[in-house]
Amino acid sequence: MEKVFTIIVAGQAGHGVRKAGIVISKMFRDMGLNVFQMDDYPSLIKGGHNFVVVSASSKRLLSHYMKADIVVALDERSYHIHKEHMVEKGIIVFDDSFKGEGIALPIIREAKKYSSSLNISGVSAVAILSAAIGTNKDDLSEIIKKEYPRNAEENVGYALAIYKLAKDKVRLDLPLKKKRKGCSLLTGNEAIALGMAGAGLDIYFAYPMTPSTSILHLLSKHSNELGIVVTQPENEIAVANMAIGAAFAGARVAVGTSGGGFALMEEAFSLAGMVEAPVFFVLSSRPGPSTGVPTYTEQADLLFAIHQGHGEFPRIVASPGSIEEAFYLAGELLDLAWRFQTPSILLTEKHLSESRLSVSLDVSKVQEAIPIGHKKGKYKRYLITEDGVSPLLFPPSGEVIKWNSYEHDEMGITTEDVEMIAKMHNKRLKKREAIVEYMKGMRTVNEYGEGDEVIFTFGSTTMSVLEALDYADITARVVQPIYLEPFPIWELRKYKRGIVVEQNSRGQLAELLREKAGVEITSTIKRYDGRPFDVIELSSKIKGCL
Amino acid sequence: MMDLSTYAENTWCPGCGNFGILNAFKNAVKMLTDEGIERGKIAISAGIGCHGKIFDYLNLSGLYSIHGRSVATIEGMKIANPRLKCVSFVGDGDAMGEGLSHLLFAAKRNVDITVIMHNNGVYALTTGQFTPLSEKGFKSKTSLGGNIEEPFNPLLLLLVSGASFIARGYSGRLEHLSTIIKEAILHKGFSFVEVLQPCVSYNDTYKYYNERVEVVEDTLTYEEALKIIREKKGKIPLGILYRAQKPIYHEELYGSLNPVEQRMSRKERLDRVKGLLSLY
Repeated sequence: MEKVFTIIVAGQAGHGVRKAGIVISKMFRDMGLNVFQMDDYPSLIKGGHNFVVVSASSKRLLSHYMKADIVVALDERSYHIHKEHMVEKGIIVFDDSFKGEGIALPIIREAKKYSSSLNISGVSAVAILSAAIGTNKDDLSEIIKKEYPRNAEENVGYALAIYKLAKDKVRLDLPLKKKRKGCSLLTGNEAIALGMAGAGLDIYFAYPMTPSTSILHLLSKHSNELGIVVTQPENEIAVANMAIGAAFAGARVAVGTSGGGFALMEEAFSLAGMVEAPVFFVLSSRPGPSTGVPTYTEQADLLFAIHQGHGEFPRIVASPGSIEEAFYLAGELLDLAWRFQTPSILLTEKHLSESRLSVSLDVSKVQEAIPIGHKKGKYKRYLITEDGVSPLLFPPSGEVIKWNSYEHDEMGITTEDVEMIAKMHNKRLKKREAIVEYMKGMRTVNEYGEGDEVIFTFGSTTMSVLEALDYADITARVVQPIYLEPFPIWELRKYKRGIVVEQNSRGQLAELLREKAGVEITSTIKRYDGRPFDVIELSSKIKGCL
Repeated sequence: MMDLSTYAENTWCPGCGNFGILNAFKNAVKMLTDEGIERGKIAISAGIGCHGKIFDYLNLSGLYSIHGRSVATIEGMKIANPRLKCVSFVGDGDAMGEGLSHLLFAAKRNVDITVIMHNNGVYALTTGQFTPLSEKGFKSKTSLGGNIEEPFNPLLLLLVSGASFIARGYSGRLEHLSTIIKEAILHKGFSFVEVLQPCVSYNDTYKYYNERVEVVEDTLTYEEALKIIREKKGKIPLGILYRAQKPIYHEELYGSLNPVEQRMSRKERLDRVKGLLSLY
């Protein structure tokens, strides 16, 4: 495997560890490298222990590595935790306020020479890395000026001081070739937000909940440029119901939340099924049940997502296996919600939502969500059609448009009529059949690699599996169902047996594959401690199973 | 003459106060049409309960929502297309119980919608239980020895939450109620109309209200409104109890934009996404 270079920066929350990760990722990106950045942070504002891992390589990179060439530890706790996370000849640089083996630098003492509060972790880590890999002084000054515009002068002064202190002590080879140019550094959530925007999103409704919140942040920040209205209602119940009301008025809408918020939306999810509202939901999971572990990762909401809502109605659920896929899938699911007038869910998890990768995207390939419009004549909202999809019309209109949560007739008037109840059930059933037929013409399953051995996985774990195979040079076929409901059994049945890798304790994907596609699951590799798979560990587990 | 009726069979009990509200609303729509507001521009929503059946009886566009969520539904419509005249029908149990947060937040934001609360003081469609507005001592299937809770004062809650138009009508005073509803819909901002509504099956208050209601002059200042809304004894005042001009939610949110009528072209949208991608 081609060389992967990794840096870990660790310290307390509030010292700019995450920002350091972004700046370092950009430095590598601008050097023409592929980048994977993973943030690990607890649910608090100040203190605690935060770290960021940035791996860079000229090869395709789908995971961070927990073996660093260089560790920058700003406090003693970080030092002790991360001295275990080094490659054989790795370097650990730490603040000299405590004793340790490695390179002690007066990181914090030096900062005291400056009047204003500096972004100590961030700026020092960038300076130390620059010294180690031989970035010249002027380039470092430019980077600091651009990335830390508040107190730029002081930050530059501090960065150069640390650079000078580190220069002779810290040296690392960066044997990486330039490979690509002009790519973006995006988190999964940023990709989802921009994908929805491209597909024609008009309004985004959300109540803050980690790890979905950065979608709300990005769309709020770029609301004007993108022409997207962003609102933050009183709770998730209001969020989902407002979205349905806005869809009634013709707006392309989306909502975003995590498991607990989605549970609150469940009542409205069923309403969307009944009134046939095209609403796009983003569900970014964290470890549950209940409050769980808010800032970590898990894939335990798969069965929750596909079984969402009381009563029977079609829904579409899909989960992206990469940041690029998240971008296109967001547009595709918004389009599908409108095509079939039923709720769709993009299921993802913290590891994809908040990890940052270098990606190249073709915006012209994003789908567009277009309503199937009523042509002319008397309008019937729930007109019975061959595929169950009735044309849409929006107010203001000379026609009367009635969406109804009660069982209804074609006009949308409440009914308890024996025949009509069954007819409307059949209408919604036919929509599900139409969705399945439509999906047969789409890419619903990704297959990577070759060979007789099959590894099933989904969502962000796809990245970990592919990287693990690459790392240990394992030959196997990786099968990732992108769509989870309707479950693409027409694609999956051909695989007779295989192993499953997923991040939950019950083995939810294994269950689906066994029960729905009749696949024999020979073993399941699971992780459910909130952390993403470590690719080195994962590769040996996979070897053990094949 | 415009017909606002539908073919739906009316299933309210004979003598139900909801008939008065239905007729008053139809009158109000006719008055609005005369003032140049096309009926196609009116969008309605309703919660679940006896009040909600009004949705089926009005030949108007809208969304028959779920219990407690009618206000959230209509807020979504208004935000999407501010050209719509949005009216949300709610019940007292529906809006003051299940949906209280949505109601108070809509008032807080001063969303430009009208909420008409059918207040019969009982969960009637579920055959008679006490609601957040049932009087203390009210006997029902779930308060057999008399309701042990004090009711909310709904208008006081709405006033302190930021509603910019507050009125009370009575389903037994058709003409007065029609005018109040019309004024509420014409008001720019959040308007709230409480309608006293007798329930002939579970809480027959016709006699009680007929003896006590009294139409009062419009009160315009906040202090006057606070006083009249707080008063507990004697007569029950009907009329417009508060009216003020305040910034409106959708205008604060996006100025003069109309999110569904002024959409960006696909090309422009994609160019802008592309532009942003180059910054990341």
